[in-house]
Amino acid sequence: MAAETTTTEVRVRSRARHEPWLDRMVLPTLVVMAVVVGYPIVYTIALSVQNYNLLDFRPAAYVGAANYTKLAGDPIFWGSLANTAIYTFGSVGVSALLGLALALLMENLGGARFRAIRALLLTPWAVPFVVVAFLFRYMYLQNGGVINAVLLSTGIIDAPVPWLNSSTLALPAVMVANVWAMAPFFFLLLSAALSAIPNEVIESARVDRAGTWGMIWHIKLPFLRNPLLISSLLMVISNFNDFAKIWAMTQGGPGYSTSTLVVYVYRLAFERFEFGYASAVGVIWLTMLMVLAWIYMRVLRMESR
Amino acid sequence: MKPNLQSSRAGWLSPGNIARWVAIGFALLWSLAPIYWMLSTSFKTELEAARLDPTLWPEAPTIANYSGLMGTSLPFVSFFVNTVMSCLLTAIVCVVIATPAAYALSRARFRLAGTVGYAILSFRMLPMVVVLAPLYLLLLNAKLLDSGTGLVVGFTTFGLPFAVWMLKSFVDAVPIEVEEAARVDGYPRWQILLKVVVPLIMPGILTTGTFVFMEAWNNLIYPLTFITTIEKQTLPAALVLTFTGQFKTDWGGMMAAATITTLPLMIAFFAVQRSMVRGLTSGAVAGA
Repeated sequence: MAAETTTTEVRVRSRARHEPWLDRMVLPTLVVMAVVVGYPIVYTIALSVQNYNLLDFRPAAYVGAANYTKLAGDPIFWGSLANTAIYTFGSVGVSALLGLALALLMENLGGARFRAIRALLLTPWAVPFVVVAFLFRYMYLQNGGVINAVLLSTGIIDAPVPWLNSSTLALPAVMVANVWAMAPFFFLLLSAALSAIPNEVIESARVDRAGTWGMIWHIKLPFLRNPLLISSLLMVISNFNDFAKIWAMTQGGPGYSTSTLVVYVYRLAFERFEFGYASAVGVIWLTMLMVLAWIYMRVLRMESR
Repeated sequence: MKPNLQSSRAGWLSPGNIARWVAIGFALLWSLAPIYWMLSTSFKTELEAARLDPTLWPEAPTIANYSGLMGTSLPFVSFFVNTVMSCLLTAIVCVVIATPAAYALSRARFRLAGTVGYAILSFRMLPMVVVLAPLYLLLLNAKLLDSGTGLVVGFTTFGLPFAVWMLKSFVDAVPIEVEEAARVDGYPRWQILLKVVVPLIMPGILTTGTFVFMEAWNNLIYPLTFITTIEKQTLPAALVLTFTGQFKTDWGGMMAAATITTLPLMIAFFAVQRSMVRGLTSGAVAGA
């Protein structure tokens, strides 16, 4: 039996080849993915070179790269792209820093009381995105919103601020709501990473009389580098896709000042029914995301080595 | 627990510790104040919720906002049932399809496993909105638009690849020796999976299912796009759609609806919170 259980690479490989069951087990997933994801992607690419409009009775025609040239000169597309980048990297960066600070603050605090505090600090992450949006929309109200009320009574502002109705303040305001909901994710993951640092490392640093900051900077941060990188990339990808918060708070407005690519594609496709043009925007965006996904996987491979 | 000089009793009131407590206090305030505001507003009358000088505590607490959800012209109960059903069904479908795939990808070491695995992972990162238009047309042609089934199909696009990767990490943790005895006795793979592996990774299956459920619950864009009859709508989409009508000024009612929308997700979240870190990190990390 010893030969059977010592699984050298060669043995496993030759055995796997004779196991049709393993192949068949992946099959349902592959079939479903092919239908609900693979086919739509191919369809998107096909749509992106047509002038397909759901409201148009004429059959869609092949228009070549027309949608793409239109896109290159579309200021709303470029504005949405910029907003997507600001929204994503801004919120993820701030959330990661806040989560890191929280994780360091709460490090080594055990016992029931601290478990409760930890759980309370995590609650924002369990609030549905749409609820986050409406809650902040209510708090941001120009007249009667609690944020303005607090800022007015403490004298920080003199007049109510139209947070979500200002084309300059709306995007940062939505980002604050986003950070509120996302920071606990980093707190959770970085806390786990902190507790995984071997005791000996901390002990030997203490013997070397490392101060609190020296300990954080030279000992803990290097251990947190990869978890931080991976969780940031995960959140970057999920923020690129964030629709609920922005849509329920501002619908991309005022004007297009908080419009991201998701919001723009949604508006193109389901308000103007320009499926062809919306698909072209989608394809460009897909390409950019695939680059990010590729980076993510490179990081994963580095990590697993 | 690591020994920590700062938390020892002697240094309890040191400046460093006081600063630490103040910071933790601020963090708690920042995290909980909005949630408190939602709960407190949900017990206020429409008039009080719209006041220019907001009250911290409801002056005349009322449950009218909650009871109002039951008996209004809007079918809130069916929104709730629709959401629970479609999210639950999505979780079940994804886990059932993903478990054998996760097992096969974990146990097979042939070259294809890596390629297939990464193909599935890259689907996970796909921007949902990119497949929105074609998915809409697909459901239109399949006559699944405006149906719960269509919604489940939509949710599956992101739930399934996620479930495969998360479950794979749980299967990876099952030592291969556990299966050896059954293998020697000549049991086929699917029986080993069902009788040996599945019972062992049951916690993982539940965690994964809960995650898929939570993600579906959070999804707004698919119900908004694929469901056109208001009675068939999910809670998140219903909030957005009714806000322009019924709740335009009724923030108390809005916050009551928001609280109801939050509760199931909150329960699900705390049920899996312990295994969450492992699921998220290893599910994302223990790839190659």
